[in-house]
This record gives sequence, C-alpha cells and structure tokens, in this order.
Amino acid sequence: MKKSLQPSAWRRCAPWAAGVAALLPMLHAGTAFTADAPPALAPLPEPRPANAAMVNLGRHLFFDNRLAGDWGSSCASCHDPKKGFGDGQALSAGYTSMEYFRNAPTLINAKYRTRFMWDGRLDGADAGTAVRDMVTEAHLMNADGRIVQERLKQIPEYVALWEAAFGKGSDPYSPRMFNAIGAFVQSLESRNVPYDKFAKGDATALSAEAKAGLAVFNGKGQCVQCHNGPIGSDGKFHRLGVPEHPEVLGKPLRTITMLRHYSTSGLPNYMAARTDVGFYAISKDAKDLGRFQTPSIRDLKYTAPYMHNGMFKTLDEVVDFYDRGGGGKGTELKPLGLSADEKRALVAFLLSLSGDPVTVADPGQPDLQVRANFGKN
Amino acid sequence: MSQHRSFIAAAALLALCGWAVAQSVPPLATLPPPPVPKDNPNTPEKIELGKKLFWEARLSGNGSMPCVSCHLPNLGWGDGIAISRGYPGTKHWRNSQTVLNSAYYNKLFWEGSVTSLEAQAPAAAEGAVAGNGDGSVMEMRLRFLPEYVEAFRKVFGTEWPRINDAWRAVAAYQRTVVTDARQVPFDRWLAGDRKALSDAQQRGMALYSGKAGCIQCHNGALASDQKFHRLGVPEHPGYQDDALLQITHRWEHYQKGVPEGKYRDAPTDFGLFYITKNPKDIGKFRTPSLRELKYTGPYMHNGVFSKLIEVVDFYNGGGGRDPQKSPLLKPLNLSSAEKADLVAFLEALSMDKPLLHDEPKLPGDYQPLAAARK
Repeated sequence: MKKSLQPSAWRRCAPWAAGVAALLPMLHAGTAFTADAPPALAPLPEPRPANAAMVNLGRHLFFDNRLAGDWGSSCASCHDPKKGFGDGQALSAGYTSMEYFRNAPTLINAKYRTRFMWDGRLDGADAGTAVRDMVTEAHLMNADGRIVQERLKQIPEYVALWEAAFGKGSDPYSPRMFNAIGAFVQSLESRNVPYDKFAKGDATALSAEAKAGLAVFNGKGQCVQCHNGPIGSDGKFHRLGVPEHPEVLGKPLRTITMLRHYSTSGLPNYMAARTDVGFYAISKDAKDLGRFQTPSIRDLKYTAPYMHNGMFKTLDEVVDFYDRGGGGKGTELKPLGLSADEKRALVAFLLSLSGDPVTVADPGQPDLQVRANFGKN
Repeated sequence: MSQHRSFIAAAALLALCGWAVAQSVPPLATLPPPPVPKDNPNTPEKIELGKKLFWEARLSGNGSMPCVSCHLPNLGWGDGIAISRGYPGTKHWRNSQTVLNSAYYNKLFWEGSVTSLEAQAPAAAEGAVAGNGDGSVMEMRLRFLPEYVEAFRKVFGTEWPRINDAWRAVAAYQRTVVTDARQVPFDRWLAGDRKALSDAQQRGMALYSGKAGCIQCHNGALASDQKFHRLGVPEHPGYQDDALLQITHRWEHYQKGVPEGKYRDAPTDFGLFYITKNPKDIGKFRTPSLRELKYTGPYMHNGVFSKLIEVVDFYNGGGGRDPQKSPLLKPLNLSSAEKADLVAFLEALSMDKPLLHDEPKLPGDYQPLAAARK
C-alpha cells in the first residue's frame, strides 16, 4: 500500500537518475522512471508548504517532557536540536532507569525516509505512528497516549495552539497529537546544502576536493550503490559487519532493552541473542541477521557518532571501515583500495551534504492549569 | 476445647445480633485462614520470593514504584493519604487500599475489577497512574538478576523468570499479610475472653449490629459483604483545584470506555459503573473490610474522611446528599456517647499493634547475561 502512496527513494531521484546527476541542471519531477537507470544521489526536493499551525503545535509538544510517563524526558532529549537532532551518544539513553541499545538517529530530513528505525519496522510515510511509537514505547517515553492527551487539555496555551491547528472547539486527542509532532519532524529540512546547489548547476558550490570525492562516491567507493536518492538511502537493509558495541552485552541495562525488544517483536528464542540481530527481529528471515536500514548521509557534519550503534566517532573511521571491506564474516562489502587522498576527498564530499545547521529553539513549557469547569469535559 | 470455644463464640454472636437479629446477614466472626487458590499453592520459598518482589522497585515503569510505595506496612499497608500518590508525573484518583486481609476478598479494587490477587498485582504494577510498568520489560529485568533467576527456577521450575509467576509470588506473599486473631480484642472476645472488650466497646458492638445498622453491609468475618453500595460520599476537593487529579479523573473515564456523554460530563467517580456500564451502578463501591481500621486511615474510596468519627458522623447523618444513595442509609440519631462507643468498637477490630514486616534484602545490580545464566 505504501508503495502506491509514497514514491520510493528510487522514484524520487528519477529525474537525476541518469548517472551524471551531479552535473545536470535541475529537471522537473514527473520524468518517466527508467527501471535500469543506475542509482544516483539526488538533491532534496524543494520544500513544500506544510500546515504551519500543526507544525507550530508539534514544535511545542516536541520539547515538552509531559509527553513522557514520568516527565523525565521529551522528544528533544534524544533528538536534541543542538546535537543534530540526535543525542551525540553512541547508544541512546532511553526511559528513566533504562538504556537503549542503538544510536538515536537525526530527525533532519526524516520526511524523505522510506522507513523509520534502524530495523526499519515503521513506515516512513507515517510520521505520526513513529511518534506514537516513541512516546508510548516502554523503553523510550513510556507514556499512555490518552494520559498525555488529557494533560494537554490542562494547558490553555496548548489548547489555543490545538484549535489553531484543528479548528475551534476541537478536542485534543492523541492520534492527532502524534500527527502534529510528526508534522513538526517533517518540517526539519536542511537548507543551503552545497551538494544540492552543485547538483542544480552551481559548479562553484563544491570544492575541487569534494568534486573528487563525489567521483569516488559514485565510482571506486561504490557508496552510491546503497546511498542514493534524496537523502542518500536506498531504504533497504544491509549487513556491513559493524563491530558490536561492547555495552550491548556488557551493560545489562542495554541488553535488557534489546532482548525485551526482541521478545515483543516475536523473535523466536530471543533469550539466546548475543548481538544486535537488526532487521531479523522484524522479518524473522535468517538472511536478515545483522542487517540494518541504510541511513541518510545528509547532515553528517552534525550527527556523529555514526552507524546503528554509534561505533564510529568520525567520518574518517567510517570511510576506513568501508575501505577495509567492512567487518567480519558475512559482510556485503568488499575492500575498496582507496588511497589516503581518495578517502580525504570522500569525506570532504560527504560533508558537502550538510547544509546550514537546523536550529529550533525550545519554546519552554507552560504550566498545567486547573480547569474551572470540572464535570464539563 | 475448640468445641467449648465455638459455643462461647456462638453465644456471643447471638448477643451481638441484638434487635437486628431479623436480618439475614452473616454475623461478624473470626477470620479463618485465607483461601489459597489451587493453582497457586503457598510455599515458604514462594512467599519469600513474593516478599522481595513486593519491595522490588524494578517492577515498575521507571524503577521507582514498587508495590510497597503505595502499600507501606507502617501506614497500615496503604499510603496514609486521601488519594494515593500515583506514578511520578501523575496522581492516582482513589485511596490506596490496605493490603491487610486483601487475601479474603473475592473482588479487588474499589470497583471490583479483578477477582484474584494474582490479577490485582499486574493491574497495579502496569496501571498508568500506579506502577506504569510494562510486563515484558519487568520480566526481562528479573532475568538479569541471578538471585531471582535461581529463586524462580526453584519455585516455578522455569528456565527464566516469567512475569505472571512474579505476580503469583506476590499474591502468595500477600496471603501472609493477614490479621492475627489472637491480637484482635474483638476476636479474643469472640473466643471467650470477657475482658477483651471494654464496656464502651461492648456498647459499640451492640450499636454496630443494632441501631447503627453497620452490620447490614459490614458483616461476616471480613466485616464486608463484598457487595457494591452507593453512599454519596463527598467528592475529594482536589477535583476542583488540582490539575493532576483532573487529568487522572478524565483519563480513567476515557480508558474505562464510558459512553461519550458520560465522559463529557464526568462529574464524579462512577465506581462499579465502569465494569457493568449499568447506570444503576453509578457511584457504587465495594464495601471495604472494617478490620485494622486503626491503622488504615484515611477512609472511603477517596479518603475524604481522615478519622473514624468523621465516618461515623457521615453515616449518622444518613450518608451523603445524594438522592440515589442506597436505601440502607438513613439518619441514625446516635448520641455523642453512642458515636464514641461505636468508634471504640471499630477500633477493637484492629490488632493491638500494627502488623509490620521488615524490608527484605533485595538483589543488587543487574548482571551481564553470562553471569545471569549460571
């Protein structure tokens, strides 16, 4: 169903899929899709106007810790605007008294993802559902959506924002609340991205080194095989053999969260898992063991550390990893034989995929107020 | 000896029934040992495990709300406040009931929403305004504490702790949190000790079964008919001036699935109605036991009365200003002296000293999986 509604990354990049995308002037969307076109990295589409009132409501809620069961965290705790809308940690924190077992990905340009979560279990076309998952999931914000909705009704400022978004007299209720936050997340798009300018015809937007890096990206480095489309993700799952983060097994709080996630995902024999099995926990197909969804390669300047478990602190480390042909048995990667110059150029190119920092100020949270008309809800 | 004792008890009960003897309600009596379900037999090891789990904060959402946080032994196994404190970020909306003698109820919670201690424990531990725990998270936490892994294996024979077994153990432990009749003046009196009750208490006992009519609902060994009644208890004032209570109040209505109109109006706690959705059950709550009252204030489903004399005054006035209240409630015309006597008798239904349990020693930090799996 999703495929019919939402063009895949492939389709989105169709106008630039001629292989020399970076060198072509901007074309218009709607160009016929050619099945055998090689993958290419596409510039971001022009931002489309969003429902500003919904985005505004969502922005306030994004920073409000009363969306967590015990008021201990907000969306911004793990998706901090000051940290590239991630949390800057290798492995994310999770709910009070818990620790998560994967990296908190950036939300910038999340609207172009085909799936959410490293194991891809959520549909990228449905940001509201992803928000609901984060708010209600026991190891993330552990809130009851209906309690949160009743909290909103005690905050007159939010009721006003709500009515601006959904109409006078509209009553806060959780599905719409999650959609509003989803609308805010989808409004987080990067601007002034050197690569995009270059792809649209401004040959001066990239340095010579970055241009050399682009050639490596599309050529010898083979990055574009998976990192294509508008955010540099094929939306598929791949096994790279990234080394396991030692805390996944070494820190029980993280293992608890991981094995519990497997148990609730219906993974057979979940107690036996001794590493993050990735997409396998969702698909239950053995070939998906250790596979993770290809992440965006935009905004890398702001979103270290990298990989599903944050094992690499710098892009140099990431590039070295790929150059070695990934890690361990079963990796899909092969050694690349890049020179030091090529690696440096590749990193320079990757950084050209980051635009201006996306900054959103915390609007603060107004207090709960008593409702005078108790018994008239 | 035991025959002699039961003869005295029977004689005492005849006296106790007084002029209300025509009523067909079971008399007050000494509690038998609590019933134990066939599918959850009590063993010392299970009780010991259950006691630990009752204190175990890891059996809650954020690791701060074990059973004992709202059921404190030194606060009569309740939490000593009108409306229970609730999960951090929330307030509960009813009084935290005592665990004491909960083993005897056939329905638990004020609206009787569950029928066993085994079902009550997870409802509280997972309830969003109580423990807010996730069953699968709590279960996984137990599996990373080798001491529990071992104890569950011994008690339940499973490779890994299972959360439903945790609730079985907690229930088994709660069946040990019961009144010791030897320490209760009224029970000693029933057993033949004529000096166990003071003159005032004996006068109060007669009022209980007679003029005051308490026995109509507070009857049997538990001093509860385990049925549901609408008394018109005054609202807790917090619903007018406490945002957190208002939130919980609406949320409870919403999540209990009341019709839209009722949700919109929601002026009060509808009690049994949430279970039956029958309008005649609005505002009915399960009769609580009157045992151990000395230690278990404040009283009523919303804790609006902090002293027993306030409760007696309430009944003396014929209950609340509520046209649909139970017809059993009528003004009693008790004198001040009679009210004092009644309170004295009610206190004689409590143990001489509160039942206290020491905090058990709990397992330390979580251990890595290899260590957990010996």
